[in-house]
Amino acid sequence: MMSRLRQPSVLPGFGLTLGFTLGYLCLIVLIPLAMAFSKAFEVSWSEFWGIVTAPRVLASYRLTFGASFLAAAVNTGFGLVVAWVLVRYRFPGKRLVDALVDLPFALPTAVAGITLTTLYSSNGLIGQFLKPLGLKVAFTPLGIIVALIFISLPFVVRTVQPVLEDLEHEVEEAATSLGAGRWQIFYRIIFPAIRPALLTGFTLAFARAIGEYGSVIFIAGNLPMVSEITPLLIVSKLEQYDYQGAAAVSVVMLIISFILLLLINLLQRWSRLRHG
Amino acid sequence: MSIDIQGLHKRFGNFVALENINLEIPAGQLVALLGPSGCGKTTLLRIIAGLETADEGNILFDGEQASQHARDRRVGFVFQHYALFQHMTVFENIAFGLRVRPRSRRPSETQIRAKVHELLGLIQLEWLAPRYPSQLSGGQRQRIALARALAVEPHVLLLDEPFGALDTKVRKELRRWLRRLHDELHVTSVFVTHDQEEALEVSDQIVVMNHGRIEQIGTPEEVYDAPATPFVYQFLGNINLFHGRAHSGWVRLGGLRLQAPEYQDAQHVPAMAYVRPHDIDLLREPEDGDTTIPARITRISILGSLVRLELLQTEDGEITEVEMTRERFAADQLKTGDLVFVKPRHLRVFLQEEENQTTPLPHWQGHGDGI
Repeated sequence: MMSRLRQPSVLPGFGLTLGFTLGYLCLIVLIPLAMAFSKAFEVSWSEFWGIVTAPRVLASYRLTFGASFLAAAVNTGFGLVVAWVLVRYRFPGKRLVDALVDLPFALPTAVAGITLTTLYSSNGLIGQFLKPLGLKVAFTPLGIIVALIFISLPFVVRTVQPVLEDLEHEVEEAATSLGAGRWQIFYRIIFPAIRPALLTGFTLAFARAIGEYGSVIFIAGNLPMVSEITPLLIVSKLEQYDYQGAAAVSVVMLIISFILLLLINLLQRWSRLRHG
Repeated sequence: MSIDIQGLHKRFGNFVALENINLEIPAGQLVALLGPSGCGKTTLLRIIAGLETADEGNILFDGEQASQHARDRRVGFVFQHYALFQHMTVFENIAFGLRVRPRSRRPSETQIRAKVHELLGLIQLEWLAPRYPSQLSGGQRQRIALARALAVEPHVLLLDEPFGALDTKVRKELRRWLRRLHDELHVTSVFVTHDQEEALEVSDQIVVMNHGRIEQIGTPEEVYDAPATPFVYQFLGNINLFHGRAHSGWVRLGGLRLQAPEYQDAQHVPAMAYVRPHDIDLLREPEDGDTTIPARITRISILGSLVRLELLQTEDGEITEVEMTRERFAADQLKTGDLVFVKPRHLRVFLQEEENQTTPLPHWQGHGDGI
């Protein structure tokens, strides 16, 4: 078996590195996840089912996945524009803007949450202007989306930027001389080239948003059935010493996340196969 | 369609890329823009295409001002590095120019299909239609790029170092193919090259450029046999350079004394003379009247059908290069170390003032005088 897998290569060490990879993944990813599963199934199947399909839990799933999806989608468009501007144009302060993009990575999420809450509350710097329009951001699901957009901004920018930089300018000139207009060049030439990177950025942003806890709990208001995200629900179950319940909800969240990420990966593979 | 270029100027910051370019390209010709890198030839081509704008001057297509935007100029542009659309098949690459047309002028799917297959037939690569560019060789990619440019039925075909990225054998094949294709289609074509052999072999007219100016325009024979400036002499083909002085219709170059009636008025003016390596005879005995220079053969290299000899002039130690056919070489029974007498058959004399206007190419410096 081993000899069939072994591929000749200038760098030896297939067995060693594969063994290390598997061991590492076990230790860091698989064992903790298995623990969650085993904890969750300390209760019977019907009890488990009862926990994970409680209306409050279902509402939190909808909110978490829905808000994360919307935030990732917004960032896909917005991040593309940011990456485009950073790659295509030269302007004073460009390096500063470039550095600013990474800030949400470094900022403690609680700080982000508190800052956003202050800004968007009905008497905050931005919130006071939104209030007359009937828009309430802080302490609503909308606020959750804003927080998730903030923390997942860098992903799309950073995945699309290098691909845009590598695009040959000549390809666009070729398209121009063949009679293509600007919009045609974008959607026929540039967009197909950056689509895989956009999808990767979207996936990363989406995954990051699903797992987000720190910034959301400050801005969400955390009303059960309305603005309570799943990670918060898990923490509150833990605080009530309901370990099995917390584990059961986490397991379902894990499974949904895994399926969604798998689907996006398949979509990406398909799009790459189709477009060379 | 003829191209008329009038008084073109282009600067990039302080760098003068083009200076007062005037050029007429008759319809249906294949013209080479030839010059060293940085001479402005690519800039000129891009301005003709509309991909770059000139600071001053006009481009006329068939006597009419060319459209402002590259999109409307109907030029086919072929890039050195192909610039194919990587995510599209060969078929879609070629069809691109037809598909992006406004709906009113867009051909039907059947017409597009027919046109693409016609072009694939023309470049003899029909079986590649479903492949992606990354699966093709360089030569195939460049032919696809050409077919893509031809799909829009351009008025003018512009090629920027089209064979520059290919290896020697493919390059030779492709340039012959391009010539045949041009003879079939007769679309006015301009191609940029720094390869003199390519320009001489393929084009109807050669435009030799240097430092943003046109040095000479002419047929391959004209520019090779009667170079207008020392630069053209040096750039096209190998040369031997002799230094000397012109005085009252005579030129003295080391041991050589020649008549130069065109410089009747010159009074002890420094002069230089250019001789092609194949325009030199080697004699066993000196001739009367200062028409030969003694030299010793220092190296013999056999280059296919030609033999190249390197000689050291015995008087001033300068190097001279001579090329002859193998038959001639065998008949003369020349050997390394032989003393021979160099007799230039054709020789072109330029006075030094002229030379000052043009500087020789860097890689020819430090080579001694023989090239």
